[in-house]
Amino acid sequence: MSSTALANPVSPGTAPRPWLDYAGMLSRWILGAVFIYMGWTKAAHPEAFLKLLRQYELSTNWFLLNSIAALLPWFEVFCGLLLLAGVAVRGTALLLLAMLIPFTAVVLHRALGIASLQQIAFCAVRFDCGCGNGEVLICRKLVENTVLILLSCGLLTGLGRPLAVWFGLSKAAKL
Amino acid sequence: MKVLLLETGLVAMFGVALALAANELSPRGLTLSRNYSPGGAVTAVRTASSGLETNGQSIAQQLEKQLAAEGLQLASSNNAVELFKNSMKDPGLVIFVDARDDEHYQAGHIPGAFQLDHFHPERYLALTLPACQAAQKIVVYCKGGSCEDSEQTAIFLRDAGIPRDRLFVYAGGFDEWTASHLPVEPGERNGGAMEKSGTNTLGGGAR
Repeated sequence: MSSTALANPVSPGTAPRPWLDYAGMLSRWILGAVFIYMGWTKAAHPEAFLKLLRQYELSTNWFLLNSIAALLPWFEVFCGLLLLAGVAVRGTALLLLAMLIPFTAVVLHRALGIASLQQIAFCAVRFDCGCGNGEVLICRKLVENTVLILLSCGLLTGLGRPLAVWFGLSKAAKL
Repeated sequence: MKVLLLETGLVAMFGVALALAANELSPRGLTLSRNYSPGGAVTAVRTASSGLETNGQSIAQQLEKQLAAEGLQLASSNNAVELFKNSMKDPGLVIFVDARDDEHYQAGHIPGAFQLDHFHPERYLALTLPACQAAQKIVVYCKGGSCEDSEQTAIFLRDAGIPRDRLFVYAGGFDEWTASHLPVEPGERNGGAMEKSGTNTLGGGAR
């Protein structure tokens, strides 16, 4: 994806494809709803999320872990609400990618560790990844996250304009 | 691209500010400046896969060793049952402390157990701390398995001035208790209700 394409998601010479934009709008709503749900379930039990975070052994800095456990769930809810309303959509989509990609990588790393430790098939690995859904099968989780990443990429390219309250800062975005 | 980054930065800034406010206002919010896991080494043993051996030591042996390093003692299932019988004979001298949250405690706990959720100690200290100060033996438990709240709560009590030789961690926890069909008290402490374990339906979660 070139930087020009990111800055000018709707090129003047491009033929209009309204169905794609409506698909983008649907993606925006789906992503918004998913993030509100996942954030809310974690925000209701931040201490449980903190325990799960510790199991990833990413850091021993308890202030950092506390901050992630306390703030990330509400941040996800906030991003979800922005997407549902259609506010600052591309900026929010970029933030979702910044959360989803590293998170998927650490989940994958942990799943590989569990599969190796328990000597089971990779897709048989099942654990609570801290995503807000309780225990999940890792392969299913990876597919879900890949779909969420692709939907976020779609929004980043400028899709999802219909019924957006304020799509974003750039002039092209206001077209 | 610059515009996109500016937009992202603004969303991130507002998002963090609102998340801080929401955490502050939420009754379940965390105190960012508090270490909720002072017993890091104990936690590491607990989160390892149960039943596996490392360097010829079982998880239970490793846990016992780590608890000893914290000045705490491990209570086996038999110890816990024995101490429970003593707590019935000498109420106040031997007490149980449930380290789980309200939801799990209300669903069922060891009869007579006090509650102390170390994530929100201020809610329970007024009742539980004097009881611990008066007791000769304090058995702290949580869910069992990978649950580490019993150790953290025992460390919390130790740091609050309870002599360490009085503190026991029942690592098997409530799961082991109910699996052994021992009595369970739902609702409030000494509320009068008693049921045979196995009827408790609140199972999930890491507590």
